Amino acid sequence: MNLLMEIFGLDPSEYKQREFQWAFEEAGVFFPLMVFLVPLALWFFWTSLSRIKSPVTKSFLFILRAAAFALIVFLLLKPELEFKKKNVLTNTIAVLMDDSKSMSIKTFPDEIPRIDFVKTTLDKNRKFFEALEKSFKVDLYFFSDRVDPVPFSEVLNQYEPKSLNTDFGSSLSQLKERMEGKPLQGVMMFTDGADLTEGTEEVSKDLLNLLVDLKSPVHTFQAGSNDRFKDLAIGNLEAADFGFVYQPVRLSVNVDASSMGNKNVSLVLREGENILVTKILELKERISRYKADLEFVPRKKGKRIYTLTLPLFSGESIATNNRRDFQIKIIRDRTRVLHLNGRPSWDSRFLREVLANNPKVDLLSFFILRTLGDDVVSPTSELSLIPFPTNLLFSDYLNSFDLIIFQNFRYDPFIDLRYLSNIKNFVEAGGAFLMIGGDLSFQQGGYERTPIEEVLPVRLQKRSPSFMDVEFKLEMEKQILHHPILRLEKDDDMNREIWQGLPAMNGVNAGLIPESGAHVLAGYRKDSSMIPVLVAGSMGKGRAVALATDSSWNWNFRRVGEGGSGRYYQKFWNNIIAWLTGDTETQLIQLETDKERYQEGDGALIKFKVLKDDYNPDPGRNVTLILQSAAGESREIPLQTDKNGEGSYEFIPAQEGFYKARIRVERGKEKTCRELSFGVFSETAEFDKPLVKDSLLKKIAEVTGGQYQVLNAGTNLNGYLFENPEVFEKTKTRVISLWDNWWAYGFIVGLLFIDWWVRRRSGLS
Amino acid sequence: MKTEAFLFKLKPMRTIFAGLILVIITAVGWVSLPLAWANYYKLSIPQIKYRGGNFNPRPDVLSSFLGQVAKRTSIEVNREPIQMQVTEPALYQYPFIYMGGDDSFEPFSSNELRVLRNYLSYGGFLLIDDNSGKKDSAFDRSAREMISRLFPQVPLQKIPRDHSIFRSFYLINQVAGRVNNSPFLEGIHIKGRVVLVYCANDLAGTWARNNLGHWDYDIIGGGEKQRQLSIRLGVNIVMYSLTLDYKKDMVHLPIILERLRKYHSQ
Repeated sequence: MNLLMEIFGLDPSEYKQREFQWAFEEAGVFFPLMVFLVPLALWFFWTSLSRIKSPVTKSFLFILRAAAFALIVFLLLKPELEFKKKNVLTNTIAVLMDDSKSMSIKTFPDEIPRIDFVKTTLDKNRKFFEALEKSFKVDLYFFSDRVDPVPFSEVLNQYEPKSLNTDFGSSLSQLKERMEGKPLQGVMMFTDGADLTEGTEEVSKDLLNLLVDLKSPVHTFQAGSNDRFKDLAIGNLEAADFGFVYQPVRLSVNVDASSMGNKNVSLVLREGENILVTKILELKERISRYKADLEFVPRKKGKRIYTLTLPLFSGESIATNNRRDFQIKIIRDRTRVLHLNGRPSWDSRFLREVLANNPKVDLLSFFILRTLGDDVVSPTSELSLIPFPTNLLFSDYLNSFDLIIFQNFRYDPFIDLRYLSNIKNFVEAGGAFLMIGGDLSFQQGGYERTPIEEVLPVRLQKRSPSFMDVEFKLEMEKQILHHPILRLEKDDDMNREIWQGLPAMNGVNAGLIPESGAHVLAGYRKDSSMIPVLVAGSMGKGRAVALATDSSWNWNFRRVGEGGSGRYYQKFWNNIIAWLTGDTETQLIQLETDKERYQEGDGALIKFKVLKDDYNPDPGRNVTLILQSAAGESREIPLQTDKNGEGSYEFIPAQEGFYKARIRVERGKEKTCRELSFGVFSETAEFDKPLVKDSLLKKIAEVTGGQYQVLNAGTNLNGYLFENPEVFEKTKTRVISLWDNWWAYGFIVGLLFIDWWVRRRSGLS
Repeated sequence: MKTEAFLFKLKPMRTIFAGLILVIITAVGWVSLPLAWANYYKLSIPQIKYRGGNFNPRPDVLSSFLGQVAKRTSIEVNREPIQMQVTEPALYQYPFIYMGGDDSFEPFSSNELRVLRNYLSYGGFLLIDDNSGKKDSAFDRSAREMISRLFPQVPLQKIPRDHSIFRSFYLINQVAGRVNNSPFLEGIHIKGRVVLVYCANDLAGTWARNNLGHWDYDIIGGGEKQRQLSIRLGVNIVMYSLTLDYKKDMVHLPIILERLRKYHSQ
């Protein structure tokens, strides 16, 4: 063979292994064919030699031909010789140490965390691993749902129960990939078996297949036990990310109880210090899981933080799972509008249609259909009129509205003067108020020196006549066209053109003096002075608008008559509602985070935008970001807006919990703020299924031919032995064809030549 | 009656006085203010002029009807008689128009139909009243043909008794008029709103009143009560056009339903 290798230029000392193989691939056809051809050929060879008398010569030629035939058949099968160059590999032992959070759970009665069983075992069996390293390559990994290699010397320093999810399938799959090409002779798995992906009854087929594919024994070492495991836990919580104010919000909570005995416990839902709902759970010794449905009605908008708690009993393995903080964004399902009309009119009719057709608006309208001076010529029982529910509207349910509209409405005699103070308080507390003009509005509605005047963005000046029946075109400053109320089109030029093209208006309430701080959005230019028609302003936390005309319906119906549409009329009123009710896009300080919720360790990005009073960007504005951590610590960060009035700040929250970010802008003496909250959450899934799964660990050991053992303070690993076969690594091969070369063909030709020569010598042709 | 006669005597003087004031105000306004669309915020009901037939068999009826509206409700009205063709640009200043007649009329042109269709589709309201007092009258045929061409896809349908028209001001359970040709109103619904009401009972015949305060036409069938019901129906139609389905709001329902129960049990 060495000669053969030398013939083909190979070094026999380098290629120590060789293998003979056939390259012919159509064996299924070839061999049946040979069964037929071989006897036929032999018969032919023998009969064709019948004229040769000498039995010796005849036999010789027959053997010669048979040999040539056999050689041809041999070459047809394409024989090859493969020479291999291989190294001997060191067998590997993988040591997996579970670093998931469930490893922090204590085992009773000594209250030893599960991870400590592993640490103690590794420490006390140091010599075992040192000895193991002499014969094997020992790879150590922390594992949970992935495997992270760790040097042996660093194991005890770095080993912490910190990973968020235990998934044997995922981690063993990664181990298998890492062991590709390595002779894995065994796995030592130190874990509590609390795999979150596996059920409690049977091991999944995927995991079983993966274990078989490892082709190595997996020895499982159970850290901790369920003996006297006692825990009361808030498990899975199902709650929508958002809810509607004044609409019930429903929560579904799983409560897990282990060794809690028979007792009643109260599940309490709080917002801050306020208890929203309490539910008593009747725990039974034999039942481990309970489901509780809770319902509460949020009263305030915004991102609200709620806390679910269970009482913490002495001896519980896990304290953290007795409390769950969560956040729900409470929004208005629809904007509730109270629309009071002094009398039926076309202006009120078209506005009511817009409001009623707006799916975001929940409209409650009242029209004063008759006055005390009207003679209905009918008993009340034949009228559809209802008493005006003043007390209900302006006392009991006032705060359930977002916006109150007085459209050409004189309050007397329908609303008592004292209720006007309630409206003022409503606006100061964040409500919205809109007064629409007409001959029953502003001064003619009797609002001078009433609380309503204090709410309005205009002062009411005594003037006669205070309502002018004139036709006029609205005019506005170019700069103010950025105001959200006036944004009929996003494009500035188109927006200006739209306003210029709207039909003229009729009738204006005169004698309105804009309050300082209020914005005259549009007016009627008379001579050299501008009579304010559309004025917007803030009052406390609320907003108010005065529209000093009752002819905005001209922009709808009259514009249709001019060949246009009522689209911009609708847009105008939707803008007013959005601005009045403080829609996010109408805020002068806009503040947001890039995510609704963050995982612990994520970077949080806080973005803000500062606008001037006229809603143009405020570039180069110094602002202060006040960050309040979950622990209640505050810090102030000075920042500045860019040319677009925008800015951002990124940081990594130090701990889980809810943070508050507030942007403070100071313009002279005026300070304005905007605040939001966001949550940083730590994954708690590890504590949702905290029990040790001995059955899983036993099954893993059984399937792979390994052993299962429960760790204790004196666990000795010396009895664990691993096979250590000589495994070669194929690093280089050389294949030599035995048929596709001149040697083979020359040999056949030689045989045929001898046949020819013998036959000639025997007197045959 | 004496009071009404006294008022009538005063009326010419008041008219002259008011006219003088109007002239002065207009003159001042001409100097200092742009031209205003007078009484724009008050309810005016123009009468539609059309070709053929008789578009105004009840002269000044709308003025007296608007007087009833002003007397009974808080609606501010402008009683100046206005007559116009549907193609006049001023049509869109008046979202409520009235069309009466007692004879056949020439079909509306396609342009008139287009304008009227647009007017009604985007907020206008049309009350058509057959003043002939006859069943299947020539006006009835002309009006129905016009309506079918106006909204070929939307048939004229009976307006149900629980519609807001019958609750917008008065609680009404019968369709009255000078005659009782039809026990129901018919209407065209567009996007949930009745935009056209057709009455075959000559409503205007019950509304028309002369300057002496006398009713112009006798009621056939039900007497004065029928007239009052007819006026109430007119007031409700006007109120519906101004408030739409306001009376369907939940806040009104309990009281209205209770009153209806008592009303029907009488």
